[in-house]
Amino acid sequence: MSAPLISVSHLTKRYREVAALTDVSFSIPEGITGILGENGAGKSTAIKILLGLVPPTSGTATVLGESATGSIAVRARLGYMPEHDCLPSHVSAAEFLTHMAEVSGLPPRAARTRAADTLRHTGLFEERYRAMGGYSTGMKQRVKLGQALVHDPAFVFLDEPTAGLDPVGREEMLALVRKTHRDFGISVLVSSHLMSDVERTCDRIIVLQGGRLVHSGEVGHFTKETETVFLEVDAHRAALVAALERRGVAVAVTGGGLTIEGPDESVYDHVRDALVEAEAPLRRMAPQRHALTELFRGGTP
Amino acid sequence: MSTEPRGGTVFDIGYQRYTGLREGRSRGRAAVFRDGVRAALGLGRGPRAKLLPWLFVALLSGIALIMALIAGAAERLGGPGSMERLNLPSHADFYGIASIILFVFAAIVAPELLCRDRREGVINLYLVRPLSGTDYVAARWGAFCTVMVAAAWLPQAILFAGLSMGDPDPTAYLAAHWLDIPRFLLAGAAMAAYITTLALLTASFTTRRAYASVFLVGLFVITTPFTAGLSQEIGGRAGQWISMFNLTNIPVHVNDVIFGEVSELTEDAPARAFGGAKLVAWYLVWTLVPAAILWSRYRRMTP
Repeated sequence: MSAPLISVSHLTKRYREVAALTDVSFSIPEGITGILGENGAGKSTAIKILLGLVPPTSGTATVLGESATGSIAVRARLGYMPEHDCLPSHVSAAEFLTHMAEVSGLPPRAARTRAADTLRHTGLFEERYRAMGGYSTGMKQRVKLGQALVHDPAFVFLDEPTAGLDPVGREEMLALVRKTHRDFGISVLVSSHLMSDVERTCDRIIVLQGGRLVHSGEVGHFTKETETVFLEVDAHRAALVAALERRGVAVAVTGGGLTIEGPDESVYDHVRDALVEAEAPLRRMAPQRHALTELFRGGTP
Repeated sequence: MSTEPRGGTVFDIGYQRYTGLREGRSRGRAAVFRDGVRAALGLGRGPRAKLLPWLFVALLSGIALIMALIAGAAERLGGPGSMERLNLPSHADFYGIASIILFVFAAIVAPELLCRDRREGVINLYLVRPLSGTDYVAARWGAFCTVMVAAAWLPQAILFAGLSMGDPDPTAYLAAHWLDIPRFLLAGAAMAAYITTLALLTASFTTRRAYASVFLVGLFVITTPFTAGLSQEIGGRAGQWISMFNLTNIPVHVNDVIFGEVSELTEDAPARAFGGAKLVAWYLVWTLVPAAILWSRYRRMTP
């Protein structure tokens, strides 16, 4: 396994009496990582420390092999897409991305070429000479992503990349985020409130709560199958419950269906036989998975 | 002859990693500087953005041209030395005459360099790049100061060329007045630094360009008659101190020290009694302290 791109060790940040982060340690390898947490959980503070914008009170943060607080030169290899508006309304996307590439240290000719390429890859090539004041929210999000990528960073921070987007725009943005890593080879840290976005986009997650790290690991680990089966029938539910209990299957009535404890494959045979006995028409049967939302309800996968 | 249609194929080579030169922080500073100069002069923008800055440059140049034409006409009609005899305004007087135009120019144009970036959030993108808050504000200060220096020097250069050519013996004029060139360069740079610092400091307190402009125009235009009248009325040491707070006169006193003459704007100012050294020190206080405040506002700025 390759060395982590970012590693944080015993990081604490206090703003006078308020602890924004307390003894947080994690590492981020190549890939797409989601950082989750409620408002005030410490996500923004963590990103600011990693970008070298604020010093930690104690602990260390290493980004791309360099201390995050040591030098601002490392930012030439980092990209950042903020959540809030950050685009000048009177300038075209082509001019803006060229300027931002130069601010990141690229020579003017290379900056122009990179700007055109980046706008093509983010799907804004046709609109690149229009003033950005007339852009839709989706187009503005693409420019924001483009300015984070235009200098070809090794790592990019995306803060709420789907904020304000309609369902179609959201899908397109998530596809772009996946493309950023899988096609462009740029690793990503996505900060988001939307569990479904993170679940579908990220390889790993970091969960912060009240400034403390509560979970960190592969998304698959958090969304793995539980040892239960969910069952929904159109009729004769009570008869089915009785038939299952007679076969020694632990069953619980939950909402519109039944949750059955199923540590092994034999439970499916019992369900089949009980359905026949109770003459219950089956509507749906599926193994249950953990959801990321459980992490915020105190659940542990 | 073949009539087959000619065609081509476009290949998408996909995303290409950048492996070229990265010039680092110096390129970033240069980019912010150049963007500031373009914003101040409305370059690459629509005609409305260009109108005001270039109108001011034309106005300043026009004043210099008229001064040169009058002096040339006086020399030719009244004979050599007529300019001195008639006490016509020259290089030493120009910044006194033009100072109010330079102040209004700065009041209207300078806020564009800082206010817009903060209002639209672009500053957040600058600060996450290999560029510190100090780099950003220094580059913006340098950009506007460059524009101000150019706006101050251009009319003086026109005036010098006009006076040289208007003189019956241009060579003799050059030999006698060549020292005016370093003097107006130095006085122009001093005026530009002072005005730039005050204008950008004001702009750093608001995201609205109009608010900064109105405040600056009020500061320069209204305090001038107010302090002048009050200092004359009160008189004495207190009057001299009140006169020191005439913000328009502060760089003109420095101009007087550089030229070794008193310009028409400051000849009645009670502050003159403090002497050249104190007036220069006062100028430095009014330039360096606002510069330090401006720097401290951006030094630790984070998105």
